[in-house]
Amino acid sequence: MFNLAFENFNEIIDMDGHGIYVWSVYAIGISIIFISFLIAKKRIRDFQKKVKIKNAPS
Amino acid sequence: MITAFIHKFSSPKSFVNLTEKLYPFFIIIGVSLLVIGWTWGLLFAPQDAVQGNSYRIIFLHVPSVIFAELVYFFMAVCAVMHLVWRVKLAAYLIKSAAPIGAMITFIGLFSGAIWGIPTWGTWWQWDARITSTLILFIMYLGILTLHGSFSNLEKADRLMSILVIIGVVNIPIIKKSVDWWSTLHQPASISVSGGSSIDPSMLFPLFISVIGLGFTLISLGILSSRSYILTREKNKKWILDRV
Amino acid sequence: MYRLIKAESFKLSKKLKSWLGPLLVMVLVLIAFPLSIDISQYDLDKFYFSIIVVSLLMTSFVATEGMFEEDFEDGSLEQEFLIEKDFYRLVLSKIFVYVCLIGIPMAFIGALFSFANGVAISSFAKVFLLLILSNLLLFNLFAFGNALSINKGAMLGVLSSLPLSLPVIILLGRAIRSIQYGDGFFSIIALMAGIGLIISAIMPLIISAALKTHID
Repeated sequence: MFNLAFENFNEIIDMDGHGIYVWSVYAIGISIIFISFLIAKKRIRDFQKKVKIKNAPS
Repeated sequence: MITAFIHKFSSPKSFVNLTEKLYPFFIIIGVSLLVIGWTWGLLFAPQDAVQGNSYRIIFLHVPSVIFAELVYFFMAVCAVMHLVWRVKLAAYLIKSAAPIGAMITFIGLFSGAIWGIPTWGTWWQWDARITSTLILFIMYLGILTLHGSFSNLEKADRLMSILVIIGVVNIPIIKKSVDWWSTLHQPASISVSGGSSIDPSMLFPLFISVIGLGFTLISLGILSSRSYILTREKNKKWILDRV
Repeated sequence: MYRLIKAESFKLSKKLKSWLGPLLVMVLVLIAFPLSIDISQYDLDKFYFSIIVVSLLMTSFVATEGMFEEDFEDGSLEQEFLIEKDFYRLVLSKIFVYVCLIGIPMAFIGALFSFANGVAISSFAKVFLLLILSNLLLFNLFAFGNALSINKGAMLGVLSSLPLSLPVIILLGRAIRSIQYGDGFFSIIALMAGIGLIISAIMPLIISAALKTHID
């Protein structure tokens, strides 16, 4: 079960012609999920910054 | 008694504190399982007899579609809690979960479309599953648009909850009716898993990917809900103490 | 209830653009379609019914646009709430009036245009009945969308209620096919009538809940 299904790296990229489909799907999917995390984190940071600025003089 | 239980755990403050502690656990497990599942599926699982290597998209496509629906059912449960027991946190969770649901539905549709090109020669088919997933995506967008149109946020929460509940009733209806429609007009299309049972060497990485994606989406949900709860409760004292 | 029906029909008949506009839209679409497609008249009958279905969908959406908006803006919704404590009867009478004043003429026009595809005169009654039932369903569903979006514009209402109307469209297409091939019409009509009655009874409750949210 744990044998590599491909002979070499080029075969992994090519996947008998299907590589472009498989890798583009994973690349776009992973980037979308990753960007969502970044956006969520940024929102939290921006909010904290805003509250700190608002309460700074007090 | 149920009401007391619900109200005890439904304060936004305790929710944010609890999820903050759980977040590292979820994200680490989620990402590790995804890495394991996808590496196994992409590199180690054998080629499919019928579809060749393009079937490897299954390890992203199937988990996405599963969670596209699960997130909606989660939203429906929260909607019931919001309308029946007036739990504010439930409405916050719906609003935080909707973009995640829309995103994962998009990934499911998109991965399915690209998978269709080598498999069926076309990137779209009007069969029950695909059409109902597209309609689910539109429903997510409708929910987000509806909530965003109202400046009175309490009103927006209630309307959004009503729409979510109507939508959840609609999902099986759409599935059944499109299925009915497509069986009249088209021969049965090749099913995603090839009809017969999947080989364990493909089933295990799939299973791991599903769980991994689940934990990852939960951790994304924790972040998203935290940012939304902070914005909604911004005048409360406990927020100022946190920051 | 009778008071409400009288009031609603008076209001709708005075607003010519809400009443006549959708009907003219429907006629326009039904005329424009065969002109825009390069196909022989004898093949037209394969597609013509689908354009009747689509025009019905569009016209129902146009017809129910801003259904509750005026009442919301001028305060009569609140007045109604004070009298009745509930919007069920108001919504029921409103939808009933809309179906009578707009839905039945729409069904008539649709059935009339169906002759363009060579449907026999004897099927006129069947098509007419079918289109009335589908109008009943579609008006209920789009009224729900409008109740959610009340004065925020029609697109929001459409986005919310379009997914609900798709099973109706599928049912309609199936029913039209049964008329064309003369088979299974009664069962489909019975199904539609059953669903129509259930939706007409339940939808006003849901719409009323949505309207109550707006006036709180």
